[in-house]
Amino acid sequence: MQLEVEIARKTFTSAAGERHNVLADFNFTLGAGEVGVFVGPSGCGKSTLLKIVAGLDHDYEGRVARPADARIGMVFQEPRLLPWRSVEDNVRLAAPQADEATLSALFAVLGLSVHRNHFPGELSLGLARRVALARAYAIEPDFLILDEPLASLDHALAVRLREQIASLVDARSVMTLLATHDVDDAVRLADRLFLLSPRPARILAVVPIRTPRGARSEAEIDAIKSDLAQLNRGTS
Amino acid sequence: MLRLLSFTVFLATWWGAALLAGGEKLPAPPAVLAAIVTEANSGALFLNLGVTLARVALSFTLAMTLGAAIGYLMGRVRFANRLGDPWLILLLNLPALVVIVLAYIWAGLTEVAAIAAIAINKLPVTAVTVREGTRALDASLDEMTTVFAIPRWKAFRHVVLPQLAPYIAAAARSGLSLVWKIVLVAELLGRPNGVGFEIGVAFQLFDIPRLLAYSMTFAAVVLAIETVLVQPLEARLSRWRPRAA
Repeated sequence: MQLEVEIARKTFTSAAGERHNVLADFNFTLGAGEVGVFVGPSGCGKSTLLKIVAGLDHDYEGRVARPADARIGMVFQEPRLLPWRSVEDNVRLAAPQADEATLSALFAVLGLSVHRNHFPGELSLGLARRVALARAYAIEPDFLILDEPLASLDHALAVRLREQIASLVDARSVMTLLATHDVDDAVRLADRLFLLSPRPARILAVVPIRTPRGARSEAEIDAIKSDLAQLNRGTS
Repeated sequence: MLRLLSFTVFLATWWGAALLAGGEKLPAPPAVLAAIVTEANSGALFLNLGVTLARVALSFTLAMTLGAAIGYLMGRVRFANRLGDPWLILLLNLPALVVIVLAYIWAGLTEVAAIAAIAINKLPVTAVTVREGTRALDASLDEMTTVFAIPRWKAFRHVVLPQLAPYIAAAARSGLSLVWKIVLVAELLGRPNGVGFEIGVAFQLFDIPRLLAYSMTFAAVVLAIETVLVQPLEARLSRWRPRAA
């Protein structure tokens, strides 16, 4: 169970007809149960990368080898829920095989139990994100893709959701790819951290973090963060 | 309550106008009511209304199904759109009368010709509306269904159809009123029964109470179907919206 990505080039033509390089010589692998986090400035091409890895974008030069028949759970930057279906029905549509006990437990962990019968239009962004996360988890994915799951949430909410993601990832070991612009989130969640350059995105450094997520002390996190800051300065 | 008031005003205006114009040109409500009772007693009223309703139901269903399918295809597939667009523009602007007359000439004065002619009149309107709806489909939800590997049919039913529902409802609404109007013309021109045929006969005999009797009952049936069937359905389809559009 391994993900291999070798993207030689990904370009994108804007409406004005200009060609932009989004990704160049972008190679990495991700092992089973590993949480890889891409951290880079906004607009560097993280979403594009995740789309290619998810198999939504085929217009690139290179090769992506996903584990065969992997069930993919994805949380997009916008929640992408069906507004005409309740929270529970949104999750059930993607995960018809999920039994009641699993769903209840998932909703309880994410604090969604009281919102099961609400429609997405009645939820705040933070809640809608959690529903999207519940949907991605309910299918019991082999491969989880999270695109900026903590963006545009206030700090307290982001911290809570980050802890929920961490506990879900630890509860069931899943190969996970997460993109974020926030170094702090990245350091707290990653098993392996990929530091990205501005556009066209290249991998500046790969930083493995061996201490388990729960056991990372603030001092260690700060140390990794300052290392990353130095790496960033050194290369740019 | 307001509806009742509005109906009373209508009745009063009619009665007043009848008194002014004289019973010859505009019979008063009791005369029309008498004509309705006579037609109802002989059974002709129900027979003709039934026949007309059956034609409406058949041609409406036919036009909605085919029109929606064509519209969806044209919205999704560029080639289909380029192929079908000139036909759509032609059919959209072809007068109903031309279609009906040609259908009767080519297929004979038959039931099939009548229903096909009515359906062809309505079909392009449905196709155009549903095509617009298909173009407005949310691509980000398509991506979601792809990633989660939701089976095609299920995705169509639960993700695509709800997005098309307002467009289909709009097509049904405008289409139904179109069919109500055209069905009578088709009956007048080439069918031996139905409300349109009866109105044609009444016109030739200058039997205005009978003419109004059929018109009024027809209008009442249309109104009943709108309030009992169409409006509750629309309300149900849009119940997830915070405020009904």
